[in-house]
Amino acid sequence: MTVLARIALLAAALASAGAAAQAPPSAEVCAGCHGKDGNATLPGIPVLAGQTSRYLYLQLRDFQEGRRSNEQMSPMVKAMTRDDMRALADWYSKQKPAPQPFTPDAEKVRLGQLKAAETLCTMCHLGGFMGQNEIPRVAGQRYDYVVKQLGDFKARRRTNDAGNMTSVSNTLSDADIENLAHYLASL
Amino acid sequence: MHRKDSMPGRFALLAPLVLFALGAQAQSEISGQAAATGAPVPKNISVSQGQLDAAGRDAANFLHSNMSYAQTRYYPAAQINTKNVGKLKPAFVFQTEVLESMETAPIVVDGIMYLTTSYNHVYAIDARTGKEFWHYKHKQGPVMTYCCGPNNRGVAVMGGQLFMGTLDAKLVSLDAKTGKVLWSTQIADPELGYSETMAPVAVNGKVLIGTNGGEYGIRGFVKAYDAASGKELWSFATIPDKGHEGVWAANDATGRNMLRDIAAEKKQLADKGGDFYKTLGGGVWMAPAIDRETGTVFFVVGNPSPDLYGAERPGDNLYTDSIVAIDLNTGAYKWHYQYVAHDVWDLDAVSPVILTEAKGKDGKMRKVAIHGGKTGHVYVHDRATGELIRFSQAMVPQENMWVLPTKDGARMLPGANGGVEWSPMAFNPKTRLVYAANLHQPMTYHVEQAAYPGGKLWLGGAFKVIPSEKQWGRLAAVNVDTGKMVWKVDTEQPLIGGVLATAGGLVFNGEGNGLFRAFDAKTGKKLWEYQCGAGVNAPAVSYSVRGKQYVAVAAGGNTQLDFKRGNSVIVFALP
Repeated sequence: MTVLARIALLAAALASAGAAAQAPPSAEVCAGCHGKDGNATLPGIPVLAGQTSRYLYLQLRDFQEGRRSNEQMSPMVKAMTRDDMRALADWYSKQKPAPQPFTPDAEKVRLGQLKAAETLCTMCHLGGFMGQNEIPRVAGQRYDYVVKQLGDFKARRRTNDAGNMTSVSNTLSDADIENLAHYLASL
Repeated sequence: MHRKDSMPGRFALLAPLVLFALGAQAQSEISGQAAATGAPVPKNISVSQGQLDAAGRDAANFLHSNMSYAQTRYYPAAQINTKNVGKLKPAFVFQTEVLESMETAPIVVDGIMYLTTSYNHVYAIDARTGKEFWHYKHKQGPVMTYCCGPNNRGVAVMGGQLFMGTLDAKLVSLDAKTGKVLWSTQIADPELGYSETMAPVAVNGKVLIGTNGGEYGIRGFVKAYDAASGKELWSFATIPDKGHEGVWAANDATGRNMLRDIAAEKKQLADKGGDFYKTLGGGVWMAPAIDRETGTVFFVVGNPSPDLYGAERPGDNLYTDSIVAIDLNTGAYKWHYQYVAHDVWDLDAVSPVILTEAKGKDGKMRKVAIHGGKTGHVYVHDRATGELIRFSQAMVPQENMWVLPTKDGARMLPGANGGVEWSPMAFNPKTRLVYAANLHQPMTYHVEQAAYPGGKLWLGGAFKVIPSEKQWGRLAAVNVDTGKMVWKVDTEQPLIGGVLATAGGLVFNGEGNGLFRAFDAKTGKKLWEYQCGAGVNAPAVSYSVRGKQYVAVAAGGNTQLDFKRGNSVIVFALP
């Protein structure tokens, strides 16, 4: 690599580091549903604040390439470049998740925690459900979103994880899903 | 494997090479930088092509990750031998700053050792004293995708340059004296599952490298780069765009029926076409062997993607699970021989090819290419044609082969890690024995329909260890002229890492429990052992400085089998 190329790379790295501190322009559109800082308050919309950058980026890419689809999301990502996606993913990953207005039911939380331990969720989602690699953070995720996703995996409406979550959710009853969603929202 | 044993194991996922636990643990990436820190090596490093060609007879240096282009790992020094090995003691321990899986084969040039760690750090140290000269940390790109730990298996050297493949799928050349980056080339897109853990091979101005990614739906390759510029010279696709359906083989290389529904596969191909070749896998995990006389490159190709779900990839899936020979100058195909057609067990081909001579069926010596498979067989091929001359008796138990994976799981032995994993074998031409590190891991094979997930892990099911069944390892010595297993040493844990043989009549092999051991090459009798304190899951090397022979091995444990991690290379010598 030439010295010039290295300087250019360095400059690009500095620019992207700087950009992460303030919201990328396209985040304004996202804010309509996902909230100003990724703390969604609308039903069925996931919290993005504090999600892992890797996961957010891969989901945006999957929406664009049709491996995941959603009436609202699919058109939003159509014109995005990979750099747009990375900038959004980096920025949301650095936002702080806010406490949720949802009040979990204590008994459901207890049962959900037991089911989570039995199902070995943290083998992939990591201790504290913080996520790693391509596996998302689900700690503090919205109750209704978790219920919808587990249902979608189970029914093969969502398959962009190559079926790993389908085999997991096949072992869960509707009550299990309800309890797990309470538990995760409580974290 | 105690940890795995305790898991019900829904996701005790294995990879091509391996065992991959999706959520084994958080691995904080050790951050890197573009330049090396420290001081230059206090001498000029220059390795000629003549030295590289003669590396198999070089009792001072260790110039290739598998010692020579023939990859016999039979080191010619005999100062340390069966009579005195009992006195072998650590000369020094070199601690790296990376506490994670170590699979490195250190390269030693003129008393300087180059070793690598997980996350692509490189150290240049004094091979006699352990003194550190420089330290290079590769700055990874935003996406790294690896199934089986953030490993690296070492550098290649040529002239005054080092070459290393990186987890973010780059080939980097460093100045061997200073650690300075000379050039860096993007080999393939890491977002699509390409990554590099293998040591490249440097030859005649070229650098050869394959790719990981058989668990991510890549299309595999071996590429050659110009050593001076980093420019790509040729690329051989391990999955041909046409003809990958092959000959619709009903049996494996040993003649056992693989229970394929060939009629259904043919219909699927006719109805849906063969476009899936773009994501059919076929990684090349280990350094190729090179026959300089004929200008031929030999390597084995890993599993098809997805590992367990075969319904949407009809045909033999050439050249997955095969040994392949190509032209060194052009990358043109010469021949292939497939061990397992339409693999749905990940019992693929990973351990690097060895070039030597062995008896033909008529008793006359022939030039051969040898591979130790995950199936547990050593395969001996004619080097010019690929003809399978013989396969050895099974080195580990085989049961229920080839039962098809099911939704609830079908038990079959060997488990998906082998047999012989990526671990290089060693061959002693005097004993006629090839030494292979084997695993025994009873598993069930589970299949699940799975569409291509765009560069994310793509197994199409799961491999699960059976908690109630004991796992163990076996160092096996197989006569290449007869295919008979002459001796075996069973170990507490499955073996992964690789073997070194020496002219001192010794075989060195490490274990996950930290033991590094020397055996009598003829009998398998244990002659020496040392407790390294962390898993010894890397191939040992040997070299001499100022007339004194050393044996070096990394003790960093292993991600794939979750053996205790360490961060050190331990170097042994006689007192």
